[in-house]
Amino acid sequence: MGIPISLTIIAFAALIHASFQLSVSMLTMLSGHAIGAKKTQGKLFGLTTNFVIGAGLITLLLISGLSFILASAFGADTPQIIWAGACGLLFGVAISVWMFYYRRNKGTALWIPRGVARYLHDRTKATSMNAEAFGLGISSVIGEILFIIAPLSIGALTIVSLPDTWKLVGLAIYTVISLSSLVIVWMLIGGGHTLGRIQKWREDNKYFLQFAAGAGLIALGLFVYVNEILGTAVGGM
Amino acid sequence: MSLAVDIVKSNGKSERFDRDKLHKSIVAVCISVRAPQGQAEATAHSVCDAVAVWLVDRPEVTSTDIRTVAGKHLKRYHPEAAYLYEQHHIII
Repeated sequence: MGIPISLTIIAFAALIHASFQLSVSMLTMLSGHAIGAKKTQGKLFGLTTNFVIGAGLITLLLISGLSFILASAFGADTPQIIWAGACGLLFGVAISVWMFYYRRNKGTALWIPRGVARYLHDRTKATSMNAEAFGLGISSVIGEILFIIAPLSIGALTIVSLPDTWKLVGLAIYTVISLSSLVIVWMLIGGGHTLGRIQKWREDNKYFLQFAAGAGLIALGLFVYVNEILGTAVGGM
Repeated sequence: MSLAVDIVKSNGKSERFDRDKLHKSIVAVCISVRAPQGQAEATAHSVCDAVAVWLVDRPEVTSTDIRTVAGKHLKRYHPEAAYLYEQHHIII
């Protein structure tokens, strides 16, 4: 697999990662509570920025940690069975996303158990310090690990196959693109857009986002399967 | 005005209706959609009055009932705030 194709796969996996919504939901709530509690614009900026940095840092740690584990276990030449397993994970997560990522009622309530959602809601409401917002950003990524593990795995497998200098570029691309949805909401809030409009857009488009995330995972799985499994098998004949 | 109405919360516990608590939540949601402070206070007063009238002959209601009635009246004064008020527990 050439470097441009590898980087494209990493970017696409990160884009799918960005379409998952727990972090965006929590950032929206955090902003709502901060503005409603009459916190200053500077404080709001500090809280939301630390949330985004926390989410970015844990994403970087997860993708680099997974890459390190895979590189330690298999080196640069990952066995095809691992690629096949990762493709299976993509297809499985895609079907899960289509089936139950959003709850079938009003709002943008996600699949997560209601007890956990209440806890996250209460923690978000109680957050008043930048360090807490940073921790909340970390929690928001960890809380969605069951879904993001699929694009993370493909991203990590592809990063491992890159030459050493390009590995850092791959990590940077994955982290930056996976944060794009969060950064857009962060900029909208900072720019004075009202939360009502942001939430309305999210609610109106939630089924499209759900379909797009699932379809993206299937497309990525098919591409990787053809490129890594079939391509190698045919090329090796 | 103090009303002797019990509010049954979603966790099964009940507490006495607290107008001040409702007022604060309405003000907060209005402020969070960038409404001016004065407008938020006036809206909260109007909504709390409407909820109090609705509660007069009801000794016990659920917190969801309060939220629904408050949201319905809030919609008349500030639709965007009402939308966010309604969404508050269903964002995550």
